[in-house]
Amino acid sequence: MRLFALGVDHRSAPAAIREALAFGDGRLDAGLDALRGSFPKSEFVVLSTCNRVEVYAGGPVEAAPDVETLSEFLADFHRLRRDAFAGHLVGYQDEAVVGHLFRVAASLESLVLGEGQILGQVREAYRSAVARKAAGPIFHSVFQNALRVGKLVREKTGMNQGKLSVASVAVDLAREVFDTFHDKTVLVIGAGKMGDLTLQHLKDLKPGRILVVNRNPERAQEVAERWSGEAVPFERLNQALIEADVVVSTTAAAEPIVEYDQYARIQRARRNRLALILDIAIPRDFDPRIGDLDQVTLYHVDDLRAQAEHNLSQRRKGVEPALRIIERETTACYTALRGQEDAGAILRQLGDQADQVRSRELDFLFQNLPDLSEADRAAIAHMASRLQNQFLHHPRAAVRSAAAEPAPADAPHPVLTAVRHLFGLAETPAPRPELKKTT
Amino acid sequence: MDRLEILCFAGTYALALAVELSRVVLRGSLRWYVGVGLMLLGWLVQTAYLGNLAYTSGNALPVTPFESVMALSWVVALIGLYLAARWPKQVAVGFFTLPVVLGLIAGAAWFIPRGPVPAGWRDATAFWGTIHGVFLLAGAVCACLAFAAGLMYMAQMRMLKSKSIKKHGFSLPSLEQSERVNRGAVTAAFPLLTAGLLIGMLLSAVELNRGASHGVPWNDPKVLSALGMWLVFAVLLHARTRPSMRGRAVMKLTFAAFAFLVFTWVGVEALRLPSAHGPIREARAGGEP
Repeated sequence: MRLFALGVDHRSAPAAIREALAFGDGRLDAGLDALRGSFPKSEFVVLSTCNRVEVYAGGPVEAAPDVETLSEFLADFHRLRRDAFAGHLVGYQDEAVVGHLFRVAASLESLVLGEGQILGQVREAYRSAVARKAAGPIFHSVFQNALRVGKLVREKTGMNQGKLSVASVAVDLAREVFDTFHDKTVLVIGAGKMGDLTLQHLKDLKPGRILVVNRNPERAQEVAERWSGEAVPFERLNQALIEADVVVSTTAAAEPIVEYDQYARIQRARRNRLALILDIAIPRDFDPRIGDLDQVTLYHVDDLRAQAEHNLSQRRKGVEPALRIIERETTACYTALRGQEDAGAILRQLGDQADQVRSRELDFLFQNLPDLSEADRAAIAHMASRLQNQFLHHPRAAVRSAAAEPAPADAPHPVLTAVRHLFGLAETPAPRPELKKTT
Repeated sequence: MDRLEILCFAGTYALALAVELSRVVLRGSLRWYVGVGLMLLGWLVQTAYLGNLAYTSGNALPVTPFESVMALSWVVALIGLYLAARWPKQVAVGFFTLPVVLGLIAGAAWFIPRGPVPAGWRDATAFWGTIHGVFLLAGAVCACLAFAAGLMYMAQMRMLKSKSIKKHGFSLPSLEQSERVNRGAVTAAFPLLTAGLLIGMLLSAVELNRGASHGVPWNDPKVLSALGMWLVFAVLLHARTRPSMRGRAVMKLTFAAFAFLVFTWVGVEALRLPSAHGPIREARAGGEP
């Protein structure tokens, strides 16, 4: 058995190369079909995301593709020159393929450490391969384990917890203040890039109303149209603040645009409803003392950034335990794969050997009894076949059951060794390569 | 033997609380399942205990203050279980409900005397006395819920105001959610307590007019404390119409109402204040162990 993975990711290749090699826009199925056509005895899964394009291949050693053939395939399929991307390719072989896939599924190889999307993308890649009949027993085992390990790592290390961007931390904060958003009004003051990004995240909460206030009415109108909101003249800022439950402020004003006394009056006019103010402007748009008012939660961009940085450091702390889990699981998965392969080889050898013995003995019998009718010969041959199957039933069941059990990494399962010994089966020359990463 | 039985479910609740407290250091959903499982187990044992109590006393509904406080803790535990199952696993519901449950059980077990209800009291007030107790019990459940929601609100507000770095595995309901639960509980508590107290006062007045020994005078500490609680709930209800009375001010009033509740049912007994509230006075005279 040979496992092979080849591709590019955000570390090894610039976005242009990744885009050129991507299997997007319905090309994934065509790619899988083409791979199956070129290497019919092998299994394939193609993982194509914005940060990585990887082809996973597995199958018999003699039929599996290597770096050369796979990179040639990629060049032909994408109509690219091979030297345009060959230097960016990263390859893994055998056990290293399993380890790499587990790290990918656990999001350790992601651009944003611990992000949750990749697990779904691995699942989709596997499902697509199953749908195109490109994945077989090897990748059923490897990918199902990868999905399990990805989930396990997140559960055990908390790798996926806490948001890493200021905008997504702001959304988490909004959820800590409010329970529902369909009845809430979001007010955006200014039209900075950060405000836009925060609004993009807040929009996921489906707020009931979005108001946009800007000194420049055209700019306010433009932002409001983009987010299906309403533009409000800057002169009506106080009224907008009265109506708003969540305020995102991103102006470039040199002085605070909302003073403490002003907002205290606004809060009274709001009948002291809960308010969340996200002051993302530098310098501040809101007097920091406003945060002392009852029912008002005021966060500055530095507060949000501190939370995001803390979350990142927490995720980094989870890397070491995650790697330990992955190492253990990789060994177990690869050993099980090797066990299945050994068991498959033994079962084939056992069947072949028994077939040979049966054929030889039947030939000998039929030579010594030349008067037997065809019907008698067929009946005897049938009986011999049934005897063979019955004699081999228990050894075969034992081999299959042993293949499903954990075994030492550096030796075959004792039952497999015993069956080989008892039936006089020859060792199959199966190489056990070390963990490899080829570039 | 009685306290040993109480210790069985109180200990299970305490274990559930310990598991709940461990959420700040332990990750994984297993902790949640163990915590909720223990809480459920404690609640089932308490159900069996209350069932046995009802069977032996012959009363389907709680009659004595001891039974009432036990039933109150049982209902609060049930609400805590429901919220733990309904809200996301990260929300530390048990962190706030279990101490209330344990406090009520401990208060009932240690401070409230047990014993048979005197026959005269029973005969005189059999039906309306039970109705009085049931209304007060339902009002007390709402008061406990309002108190727990108030605690969650204050803790969440404190965390948000201090801008402390959020630790994973420990989260609280949103301010809006806690405020809503608190408001709903206060709204429900007021009519229940009003009805319960009115029935109690009418009963007492009738008994006093009849010259019965188990009438409760107006200046009884239990009556005064219960009236104090009712007054706070009246203010809380009124606060709904006043914008300045929201948030922390409302929560502090809720705590005051809960303090009155605890004082009425447990404090008077713990401090051994002279109270003429029928069953307790008689039970004490009858020689409570």
